[in-house]
Amino acid sequence: MRDDGSVPTPMILLDDVHLRLESAAGPVNILRGVSLRVDHGETVAVVGPSGSGKSTMMMVMGGLERQTTGAVAIDGVDLGRLDEDGLALFRRRTVGIVFQNFHLVPTMTALENVAIPLEFAGARDAFERARAGLVAVGLEQRLGHYPGQLSGGEQQRVALARAFAPAPKLLLADEPTGNLDGATGDQVIDLLFALRARTGTTLVLITHNPELARRCDRELRIADGLIAGDVDRRFDAAGRGA
Amino acid sequence: MAALAWTIARRELRGGAKGFRIFLACLALGVAAIAAVGSIAAAIGRGLESQGQSLLGGDVMLRMIHRDLTDAHRAFLDDGRTVSRSMTLRAMARPEAGDNRSLVELKAVDALYPLYGALRLAPARPPAEIFAQRDGVHGAAVEDALLRRLGIALGGRIQIGSARYEIRAIVENEPDRATSAQALALGPRILVGLDSMAATGLVQPGSLIWYGYQLRLPERESPAAFRTTLARAFPDAWWQVRDRTNAAPQVSHFVERTTLFLTLVGLTALVVGGVGVGNAVRHFLAGKTATIATFKCLGATAPLVFGVYLVQILVMAAIGIAIGLAIGAALPLLAAGPLAQAMNLPAEAGVYGGPLAIAALFGILVALAFSVWPIAQACEVPPGTLFRALVRPMRAWPRPVFVVLTFAAGFALAALGVASAPDRRLALWFVAGTAAALVLFRLAGLLITALARRVPAGRRTGLRLALANLHRPGAATGSIVVSLGLGLTVLVTVASIQGNLAHQIDATLPDRAPGFYFVDIQPDQHQAFEALVRAQPGFRALQSLPMLRGRITRLNDRAADDMAVAPETAWMLRGDRGVTWARGRPDDAKVVAGTWWPEDYRGPPLLSFTAEGAKGLGLAVGDTMTVNVLGRDITARIANLREVEWGTLRMNFAIVLSPGLIEAAPQTWLATVHADPDAELAIERVVTERFPNVTAIRVKDVLQTVASVLDKLAAAVGFTAAITLVAGTLVLAGAIVASHRRRVYDAVVLKVLGATRGRILGSFLVEYGILGLATAIVAGILGSIAAWAVVTQVMRLDWVFLPGLVAAAAFLCGALTIGMGLVGTWRALGQKPAPLLRNP
Repeated sequence: MRDDGSVPTPMILLDDVHLRLESAAGPVNILRGVSLRVDHGETVAVVGPSGSGKSTMMMVMGGLERQTTGAVAIDGVDLGRLDEDGLALFRRRTVGIVFQNFHLVPTMTALENVAIPLEFAGARDAFERARAGLVAVGLEQRLGHYPGQLSGGEQQRVALARAFAPAPKLLLADEPTGNLDGATGDQVIDLLFALRARTGTTLVLITHNPELARRCDRELRIADGLIAGDVDRRFDAAGRGA
Repeated sequence: MAALAWTIARRELRGGAKGFRIFLACLALGVAAIAAVGSIAAAIGRGLESQGQSLLGGDVMLRMIHRDLTDAHRAFLDDGRTVSRSMTLRAMARPEAGDNRSLVELKAVDALYPLYGALRLAPARPPAEIFAQRDGVHGAAVEDALLRRLGIALGGRIQIGSARYEIRAIVENEPDRATSAQALALGPRILVGLDSMAATGLVQPGSLIWYGYQLRLPERESPAAFRTTLARAFPDAWWQVRDRTNAAPQVSHFVERTTLFLTLVGLTALVVGGVGVGNAVRHFLAGKTATIATFKCLGATAPLVFGVYLVQILVMAAIGIAIGLAIGAALPLLAAGPLAQAMNLPAEAGVYGGPLAIAALFGILVALAFSVWPIAQACEVPPGTLFRALVRPMRAWPRPVFVVLTFAAGFALAALGVASAPDRRLALWFVAGTAAALVLFRLAGLLITALARRVPAGRRTGLRLALANLHRPGAATGSIVVSLGLGLTVLVTVASIQGNLAHQIDATLPDRAPGFYFVDIQPDQHQAFEALVRAQPGFRALQSLPMLRGRITRLNDRAADDMAVAPETAWMLRGDRGVTWARGRPDDAKVVAGTWWPEDYRGPPLLSFTAEGAKGLGLAVGDTMTVNVLGRDITARIANLREVEWGTLRMNFAIVLSPGLIEAAPQTWLATVHADPDAELAIERVVTERFPNVTAIRVKDVLQTVASVLDKLAAAVGFTAAITLVAGTLVLAGAIVASHRRRVYDAVVLKVLGATRGRILGSFLVEYGILGLATAIVAGILGSIAAWAVVTQVMRLDWVFLPGLVAAAAFLCGALTIGMGLVGTWRALGQKPAPLLRNP
């Protein structure tokens, strides 16, 4: 609760979210009643075994997958009310995504890859901001390089610059170091946290790395489509909570 | 949004045309075919237009058969105008020494000929000098074919009728040949002076002679004005009038029809190519799934993504169309000259914008009709694809707006095909037929897929694998059946029609048709002629009838000129028709309505008409018809209707009059003679020796001439039809390329599991064999039905099913699919398993 007594709009609000997919072998329940509240500026690590529903939960948050039942509100926007194109516009304004496999567009240079979400949003200074973003991740020498000409670490740095370029309120990162070696992965993570700290973006990070999870404010453990644990380290630091 | 789509598309296009080769080839091929056909037609059209004067040999030409102009007519024409007169007829030529005979197309010209253009002779001497009488012998210029036929050389002498000619030159170019009175040349041309005709004895009352008057008008008089004055002065003239603005309507009409047909076949090739375009787009977009999902994750809407890829496809389409247009424009530049010469037509080589624009428009519409759907489907790729391997089935139907867009493009394509055709009805039939064939082949593809799923393969692994490949999700069975099938259908149709015509000419006609026509038998020769022919060894049958020319002028109380009749019957009212008279019913006349008059009939005029003609003109027994014979109107009541089989080449007259009306008019007799084939030459020799004015037309020669014309036409049509099959093959190649990765993977897995190369190859063979054979069967059936419809309904000939031809088509199709399939899979078989399994 704020000082003035009002309850601030949470960044993420999931209320009893179920998600069932129809497959050839019959329906599969992937999320089975997830409720979650994440406030603005929080950093949340999501851990759990493969197939537990981590990625699906993240997709629901990004409007990339629709819940079967339950409610999803991101930054106060009820995603259930938006159609496909409405969700795209919502992502354009609110969400940045970093993938395990980088997913840069192979036919575009680093600069163009970073500029593209800004161009989608109609920003006139897309290239100036993209350049600044790439400088911030230390790739000022690689602006005109194509993804195929960059190392894995460099590609993920371009992806970070791209995700942060439109100044999203929410950053979703799906195992961003999964395809990188240890040292490179550490550099990318340092960069990710540095950028987040600078922008105050809310971060949701899927990881298998316990060390990395510990750098976040909260750690959610997902198992079998449910939230099996929710550890808030800020309370720990204050000597309270679990 | 459009600017953004263009920006992103431009970046995406940096990958170049890789993966678009089949796409480009499919579009370029179809567009090139349409552009080339259109350009050649335009070149000939321009040639006909600009060379109208020399083609016609005058600003205006009057032409009439049988009956020449009177002095009053001549005086009218000569008033302030230059008039060149000619006669055209068929006659027999024989060398002074030797037994050879040849039918010739004789043209006698005056000293003014030609008024326009140049008569090219070898040696190059003035025509007057060549034709002049020297030492009592007239000169002639001939086509060199005549020298070969008669076995004589330049300077040799020949006899025509009772006149002798010395051959003094070879005709290299006759400027007005394309507008000649006799459209079909049955013999070589011979040109002589008009003043020599009296000596031949061929100009008799009733002889089949075309009289031609070519006019040069004074500056101030336009052809149209002249025609108006002429029509006013002689309202009931019997002649045909042509002017330089439309010198050769039959040639124009022929070129128009051929162009239409070839364009429609080209359009089929383009549509078949469209299937390849669709497949290529689908394959290309399948490789873009991750990029599209990324775009959507970054906030791109589906319409924006659609724009990005539509722009790319349109850019590629523009390149394909440009290649097609370049080929289509260049081909006529190279080919128009030789082609025009071979067909005796003028052509002005050049780049013609109109046909190229139409071809480009066809290309764009095909590209849109076949790519909007797959692009729109790809836009529905869920962005979540990037997070998980679980692939959810693609939405089968794109958003309604794109469905509408696809159908609109298809409709516009059909509309353009119909609108740009001179014969809309035919084009409409063609478009409907193609659309129906597309649907039928789609259904056939579904049927094959469904059967492949149902057929029990038992323990035969190879067969099971082959069947599975035909029906597994994403199999190209449907598109291969459609594209290859459509191409093959066109080929089977064309080949069947051609085969049927050839069959008529080679097999059916010679049995039923007479060996000879003898024309221009004078009434006083008639008895002697019959006696002579009947006495010859090998003689079988003779039929002879008197012949006049007449023109239908009134039907009941209405003037024939004012009547609107079906195009199929219009020829009956156009110009002169052969008219005969008879006492009794001719032996082979099949009366279907009314009765024949008694042999000694002496009552009011009666006539017998063809049942088909009566139907077309809306006439029945009891109605009256007025026929103008040699300037005299004869009004007769229709006593009966006959069924006439024009295809038998027997003597058939549309109009047979009762006796007592025209026996006294100047007329000649026409006879058909059946004889043993090896006696034919001797009969021809005896008759033409005894009656030099009688012309013998050997039906075999006519058929050969017709066959050679048909062959030329068939070559052009066959070539275009083959393009359709090439387009189908491209689609097949594209499908094989698209499935290459999967095949490599299949082959490797099977090899790991212990399958030999032979077994894998065998299974691929069976798969392609089934595909090829099934397609060929459907194409054989559809093509035969289409050919049957054309042969029996349009050409009104008997239909013969040609199983050999369909079998050949099936073999071709099977060989093509198996061959292409094997080339595609051979490489797949060579792959070593280990690397692929390590890094799948």
